[in-house]
Amino acid sequence: MTTLVVAGPTGITEHDGGTYHPEQPSRLFAAMDGVRALGLEDEVVYPPIAEASLAELGRVHAPAYLAELEAFCARGGGDIDPDTYARPDSWTAGRRAAGAGLAALAELERRGEGVAFVPVRPPGHHATADRAMGFCLVNNVGVAAASRTALGERVLVVDWDVHHGNGTQAIFWDDPDVLYVSTHQHPLFPGTGRPSEVGGPAAPGLTVNLPLPPGATGDVVRTAIDGMARQTIEEFAPDWVLVSCGFDAHQADPLGELELSSGDFAELARVVAEFAPRPGRLALFLEGGYNPASIASSVEATLGALLGAGERPPAPTSGGPGLSQLQADRTERLRAIDRVHMEVGP
Amino acid sequence: MTTEQFVVVGYDGSADAQSAVTWAAKAAVALGARLRVVHAVGLLEHAGLSGHGRVDGDMACQIAADAGLDRGDVEWRVVDGDPCGALLRMAEPPDSTILLVVGSRGSGAHAGTLLGSTSLELAEHSSIPVTIVPPSAGGV
Repeated sequence: MTTLVVAGPTGITEHDGGTYHPEQPSRLFAAMDGVRALGLEDEVVYPPIAEASLAELGRVHAPAYLAELEAFCARGGGDIDPDTYARPDSWTAGRRAAGAGLAALAELERRGEGVAFVPVRPPGHHATADRAMGFCLVNNVGVAAASRTALGERVLVVDWDVHHGNGTQAIFWDDPDVLYVSTHQHPLFPGTGRPSEVGGPAAPGLTVNLPLPPGATGDVVRTAIDGMARQTIEEFAPDWVLVSCGFDAHQADPLGELELSSGDFAELARVVAEFAPRPGRLALFLEGGYNPASIASSVEATLGALLGAGERPPAPTSGGPGLSQLQADRTERLRAIDRVHMEVGP
Repeated sequence: MTTEQFVVVGYDGSADAQSAVTWAAKAAVALGARLRVVHAVGLLEHAGLSGHGRVDGDMACQIAADAGLDRGDVEWRVVDGDPCGALLRMAEPPDSTILLVVGSRGSGAHAGTLLGSTSLELAEHSSIPVTIVPPSAGGV
């Protein structure tokens, strides 16, 4: 039986923006409802979680940004932009969320098997090296990925949140040890994630953006990851697979217009699991997802597919738009990679 | 053939943004350019959860007209994205943008922090000139 490592929840009592804000602690209660619905009880391991150190955060964030964020929280916090806020305890919450990811990977490595789930808040994939945005303060998946590349390992980040993970993309833009693959609704916040964004001179082609139109269904997302990105992923040969596991692509989510069911997340989980080189190398980080019921059912479906547990999820969806656009975008992407190679020279 | 040139100004409905539109409109007149007023829609506004109310494009265009720019030379754009990124993308080809303009503080920024400063971020990353308009400085 595969072990489920749950590194969290963190952020249940911290970083509270009030009931008006969709990024709120109830999301974590819903995620944990989904974990409990698996009925695994004794097979679930909860590793101890420490706050990420400044050195660990500093692998992806600028020291000046971290100092400013800490000071801002110490002064009482407030609105950072129209979407993003901080509270006096948000600095601690951000460090604990990043620390949870590190704890998850450490536990997987110690066991040599298992699948990890990291239910934390605030989410992270919009946070850049020097900027908080899109509800995100610290890039949790980025901190975890950088902890492994520091050891000479190669990390695949698959981001199926409905929003493009601009922060993760920017942090690893020119890093040959990280392959970033994103499916996301486009156009939509943050506006990045075009097919022509393919990575920097040291990492051409190691950013793979697969934008989807509103209304896209699960079959389109599966085709994007399994069909369009598989060859790049297999050639990259990752040592770790980290998933920016947003559930706001669900059809009931209030912040996006994709049409996935929780059953689609089960299918996506099976696909990304195939990219892990061996047991104990797959971790899923909660990003977005703002409908508690769909978070719970999607967590159950996603982890259930990986562990062979839980109730049978709703049927996967199909028939939405976007398949033909994926083909056209592939050409745009290949041309962009050629341009980077030409700029770099032989 | 002469390529149409644009001054692009960010607008979120705040008092600072209104000053920025006034300044940008006068700059457009002086430069013989058109004005593109850009409103970036964030996560909450996209979902109808913004606490700042609807951003009125007609008002922005009227401010530009009041500053002396022909109404036909004003273009209103609403794009999903963060303000800085949206404005930077407006400066990319094929658009011919010659100047980016923003107010010094937007409606969501917290006084005393650099964390959410669109203007500083823009100044750092833009490849074309950027003007940051302080409050009540709509004149050119």
